Amino acid sequence: MICLQIAPGVAEAGDYSARIEYADLEHVDGGYDVHAHIDYRLSPTAKEALHKGVRLTWDVTIELRQPGALWDTIIHKHKLTYSLQFHALLNQYVVQTPFDRSEMFLTLSAAMNFMAAVHDSTPIPAERVTAGTPYLLAVKTQFNREQLPIPLRPVAYLDNHWFLSSAWHTWPIQK
Amino acid sequence: MAHSKIKLPASATIILLFGFVLLSLQLMSSATQESSELGEMYSWLLVINTLGSVILLGLVAFNAYSLVRELKKKEAGSRLTTRMVSLFVLLALAPAAIVFYFSVQFLHQGIDSWFNVEIDRAMDDALELSQSSLNQRMNWHIKQTKQMADQLRDKSEALIAMEVGSLWADSGALEIAVFSNQGRVLASSSVNPSDILPHLPDEQIWLLLRQNKEYFAFDPGDNDEMLVRIIVAIEADQSRFLQVLFPIPVRVTDLADSIEFAFIRYQEMNFLRDSLKTSFSLILLLVLLLSLLAAIWVAFISIRNIVAPVKELVKGTQAVADGDYQQQLPVMNQDDLGFLVESFNQMTRRIARSRDETRAAGLEVENQRAYLETILANLTAGVISFDAAFYIRTANQAAYRILHIPVSHFVGETLPTLATMHSELAEVLNAIQSLLEKADDIWEQRIVFLGPNGRQELLCRGTPLFSQHGARTGAVVVFDDVTDLIQAQKNAAWGEVARRLAHEIKNPLTPIQLSAERLQHKLSKELQDGSAEFLQRGTRTIVQQVEAMKRMVDDFSEYARPSKKQVEKINLVDLIQEVMALYLPSGIIFSTAFASNRVLVEADPVSLRQVLHNLIKNAQEATTAPCRIEIKIAKVSRNNTDYVELGIYDNGNGLNAEQLETIFDPYVTSKAKGTGLGLAIVKKIVEEHGGVIWVDTSYNGGAGFLLQLPVFEFGNFK
Repeated sequence: MICLQIAPGVAEAGDYSARIEYADLEHVDGGYDVHAHIDYRLSPTAKEALHKGVRLTWDVTIELRQPGALWDTIIHKHKLTYSLQFHALLNQYVVQTPFDRSEMFLTLSAAMNFMAAVHDSTPIPAERVTAGTPYLLAVKTQFNREQLPIPLRPVAYLDNHWFLSSAWHTWPIQK
Repeated sequence: MAHSKIKLPASATIILLFGFVLLSLQLMSSATQESSELGEMYSWLLVINTLGSVILLGLVAFNAYSLVRELKKKEAGSRLTTRMVSLFVLLALAPAAIVFYFSVQFLHQGIDSWFNVEIDRAMDDALELSQSSLNQRMNWHIKQTKQMADQLRDKSEALIAMEVGSLWADSGALEIAVFSNQGRVLASSSVNPSDILPHLPDEQIWLLLRQNKEYFAFDPGDNDEMLVRIIVAIEADQSRFLQVLFPIPVRVTDLADSIEFAFIRYQEMNFLRDSLKTSFSLILLLVLLLSLLAAIWVAFISIRNIVAPVKELVKGTQAVADGDYQQQLPVMNQDDLGFLVESFNQMTRRIARSRDETRAAGLEVENQRAYLETILANLTAGVISFDAAFYIRTANQAAYRILHIPVSHFVGETLPTLATMHSELAEVLNAIQSLLEKADDIWEQRIVFLGPNGRQELLCRGTPLFSQHGARTGAVVVFDDVTDLIQAQKNAAWGEVARRLAHEIKNPLTPIQLSAERLQHKLSKELQDGSAEFLQRGTRTIVQQVEAMKRMVDDFSEYARPSKKQVEKINLVDLIQEVMALYLPSGIIFSTAFASNRVLVEADPVSLRQVLHNLIKNAQEATTAPCRIEIKIAKVSRNNTDYVELGIYDNGNGLNAEQLETIFDPYVTSKAKGTGLGLAIVKKIVEEHGGVIWVDTSYNGGAGFLLQLPVFEFGNFK
């Protein structure tokens, strides 16, 4: 059993930036699954764009790091891409999961909650983790502006309504 | 056939730059297309183009700054460059700004024309129609599902399992499933036999199901098909639920998707309207900036290249103006400017050649002038040149030697000005000035004046100078001190007279004397006492006068005879003291002022002693009161030679102006018994010893004589 977490690392505060609420590892057969919970917050501009048919995309990056004297060594890295879109005909929200699966939701909050619960089903191989060694579990979600429509991209880099990413959040992990 | 070189309009760098700019703009333009694969690079292309604009702006700013600095320094060609660049920028900027303004206007109007109220309403209506159609289908399926639930109500699980199959077959559903409120599947039937497990509801559906007792919604099915999921409770206590999945016909799905896609697309475009305007305006602005800045930068380079020969020409002209005629400018192009540069090079070559020739001629003239100056400087005759207004232009060294004033220091002054500063020369200078002003031709005049060294006689020859047009440009006066020459001529003449006189007079004197003595001897005995005594007195007088005449003739002979000097080194001080001792008994009061007690001169002591005797005797004879004689010895330098200056001053009656002119001439005397040869012999002896003697006219207490002799050694006073 892997025990985890205690205090979140440094987080960058922003009006609409996402926050990583927690992350942990769960021992499964052949390795460790990552669980995390992300609090997504949509600005009014982002909500309007969503309801006008703009697809919003986030890349959730998960890293397992081994702290070093000068820099950390990345043991494992995995990226999960989530996208959210409004289906006007059905009046539902469609979440495209990293596993090529679409989920439809009647409410926006349901869709956001679905995206918030991150479960990386690609386990970290057990042989990469050494017993007794301290690790850092780092998670961040990056709003992918490059997936926005082209005319919107320059604005998205300048308008804080589109600053929907989170900073890196790290948790010390000890076996 | 001659081959002509084809030159590129600009350097390869400029061509590359323009190529890069065009490529970057084209890529960015392509990236804005929805279907383009470059869409992912849009932001990078935007950044690259912005960076390119910033770099170009920096280059333009740097060039503009350099140009401003050159303007402030007033460097050659900077004003022409500024004018050309300003003109180019103005010509390029004005149409570009106009095109940009109207392009933006057309762009905005074009985008706005995509959207209007009718299309908005049509899109909304189309979506609503689709939704109505689907809802109608869903309502019918809900009704159908509820009927099936009624049929299954209050039946055992075994019966339900048996009836599900027939219900599925009658309904045309994809899948029918019955499950408990815990999610346990009680029965199911599916169009796909391979589906062992039915599509069970997820947690969200369960949540809604528990709230609403039923659930119906459209679900995305496999293979992009659309399904209608309907779940209703079979029993009132919600212990069992019936779920039916109905397919939506493909045609309906396609139509609905099409309408949904068009609606969403339209909504998205409507939402992005302002962003589109901004984005296209930004791209247009970037295109304008990149093109304009690149053009301005290239204009800077091109104009600098064009102006470079002009700049070189200006520099070359300035160098020529400063006297550097070696300037040869590089001919960069064979165009009009190249022809101009070539002409400039030819001009400087010719100027340089002319300059060299002029310099050589000037050097020759200078050499000639220096040669003439050297000759003039070494002439024994004094030469003074004047300009048209009789201001002194040049004077040689001999003028200084003769006049005893540095005439060359008074260049730019007139002779009367010089006369006021040197009153002792006023007579001769004013005389020359008068002759200069009057003469229109060559003139010659002897001018006698009393100089600081006594009486001097100058032989002056003046020549007025005229220009080629006959205008008077000045005059030259050549003069020589002929005092010594005249004196030598006089001495030679007098010597000859004396010699002949002695020869002619002395010869008959002896027979006269002998005859007188014989008369005395023969007749004294024969005559009476009175007559004898008269004869004796007469013969005695004859003999005495003959003796006197003999002495006079001897003096003449002595003066006329070349001297036979026995030169040796003697101390002049000792000699003077020796002579003074001889005259002490006669009551003469001597006073001396010797700068040294050892003054060696190379001279004949007998002759010098005679000089001293003659001068002291003269002083004694010219004095009635107790005679006081002051003797001074000093050292003077003249013409790089040291002289001893001996001054002998008495307290007698002195000399008047008439006596001063002839004092050293032979047979000139104011004494009753004098022969007039004393001072003439003195002068002769002094000059034979290389010295000079003159009357010190500045002394007023009597007569004063100054004589200078070359000194061998002038010791310090001990």
